[in-house]
Amino acid sequence: MKNIALGQFYPARSPIHALDARMKVILSILYIVCTFLCKNVLAFGALALSAVLLILLSRVPMRTILRAIRPILFIMLFTALINLFFTKGETLLWSQQILPFWRIDLHLEGIYSAAFMLVRIVVLILGTSIFLTYTTTPIALTDAIESLLSPLRVIHVPVHEFAMMMTIALRFIPTLSEETEKIMNAQKARGVDFSQGGLIRRAKALIPILIPLFVSAFRRADELATAMECRCYRGGKGRTKMTVSHLHFGDFTALLLVVAFGTGLILLNRYGFGFTMV
Amino acid sequence: MAELTLEHVSYIYGERTPFEITALDDVSLTVREGSVTGIIGHTGSGKSTLVQLLNGLEKPASGRVLLDGCDIWEKPKEMQKIRFRIGLVMQYPEYQLFEETVSADISFGPRNMGLTEEEIKARVSEAAQFVGLEPETMEKSPFDLSGGQKRRVAIAGVMAMRPEVLVLDEPAAGLDPRGRDMILKGIREYGRCTGNTVVIVSHSMEDMAAYCDDIIVMAGGKVHLCGSRDAVFAHATELAKVGLDIPQITKLALLLKQRGITIPEGIYTVEAAVEALRPLF
Repeated sequence: MKNIALGQFYPARSPIHALDARMKVILSILYIVCTFLCKNVLAFGALALSAVLLILLSRVPMRTILRAIRPILFIMLFTALINLFFTKGETLLWSQQILPFWRIDLHLEGIYSAAFMLVRIVVLILGTSIFLTYTTTPIALTDAIESLLSPLRVIHVPVHEFAMMMTIALRFIPTLSEETEKIMNAQKARGVDFSQGGLIRRAKALIPILIPLFVSAFRRADELATAMECRCYRGGKGRTKMTVSHLHFGDFTALLLVVAFGTGLILLNRYGFGFTMV
Repeated sequence: MAELTLEHVSYIYGERTPFEITALDDVSLTVREGSVTGIIGHTGSGKSTLVQLLNGLEKPASGRVLLDGCDIWEKPKEMQKIRFRIGLVMQYPEYQLFEETVSADISFGPRNMGLTEEEIKARVSEAAQFVGLEPETMEKSPFDLSGGQKRRVAIAGVMAMRPEVLVLDEPAAGLDPRGRDMILKGIREYGRCTGNTVVIVSHSMEDMAAYCDDIIVMAGGKVHLCGSRDAVFAHATELAKVGLDIPQITKLALLLKQRGITIPEGIYTVEAAVEALRPLF
């Protein structure tokens, strides 16, 4: 419960931390596009290299970064296996009849395609976590999303309200997880055992946790609403910000670099060798 | 009836991370069988951590927690049995209530122990009596009660398990004086009637002075002072130095002493102060 993987902001001073949060949202979207531009060995190599560079630039320690990968290990393995054995190509490396009606083929193209997919997934996760979760505080992030979506206000989308809801939700995740732990401890002290018994017994053991948790969540929501009203909160209209962020030279340089990187990938796609992804 | 002992217990939060904090540092103490023992300390002195170690919610980084001489972590699988013997009431326990009626909530613990229905009923009404819940509240929803009543229901819920050691973390925090006295009296009553050991954690010296036999003073993750109430209050100046709020009457006695009036240091009740000052008039 203590290592809940949300809001993993890692405080440090780095060029990436210093970027404007809005720019980081745009950069991470562009970076995701980049991962899908790659088609051959050269391009994927460049992509992997860029991810390593990003990690070094962000000054987030490797151990913290690897924690972001752990939850998707299974998906990675699964994708790699599927690609390994189900990609048909010209060079057959190995073939094995397992059952009369089932044969496993391993093509060279399968190995390429599995490796490409692995790089793509890892870079996808690393890229977004470095630009967004590790170097941007959740508050800055919601602010950025609000600012980027603000044009939608024209068609009456309540952008500010959504952003406020997101901020509040993010703010209360640690509070509620702490509360859950407290309630679990309290009920454990009254003899609830979460680790024993069948599925139904375990599900039943959750009732003494969930009811108090809901009650306290509603109570908190109520108190928060009152507190906000007391401070004259009345939605986004005419509201000014305490910290107004500006785009700087560095932000545009970063944008230029990422766009140049994407263009470079497209060029690399032409001069590659070996297997080319479609 | 049981004796609770801690032997060289240490506990560290966030071990091997930059946020490492030593919450408890080589703590050894004994809670006397059948006593009402107060654990007192400043915020961050390690009281709440200590409480969670006492009934096996957390495992000490080193050292042992002994119940009647047996390490409670000897058989982690049987921790549930240990928790029935060492009852814990956490801080703000009113947030753990969940049943439809007060009596159902109080009987939750005993029911988990697998007792017979009659036994459960007897224990529920006994526990309700200790904390002073009126019979008509027993069928109400716990969510309709006032804060003080909820607190009493939650404490009764642990008392009904009749633990040999009842540990309470700040049982009176945030209550008005009447509610506070009622709860603390009920807790003391539980100790007296059942002969079980009671451990109260608090930062209020006044409460400790009024309700505890023994007092353990925690400071900076260590045991600063421990002993009987009289022995601990004999060090009143030292207590004030650690930043603990000594009872007002003790403060007055200290001030009088500074002004040159002969009065012993360990005074913590108004009655004792009156006795000590009477010869002067």
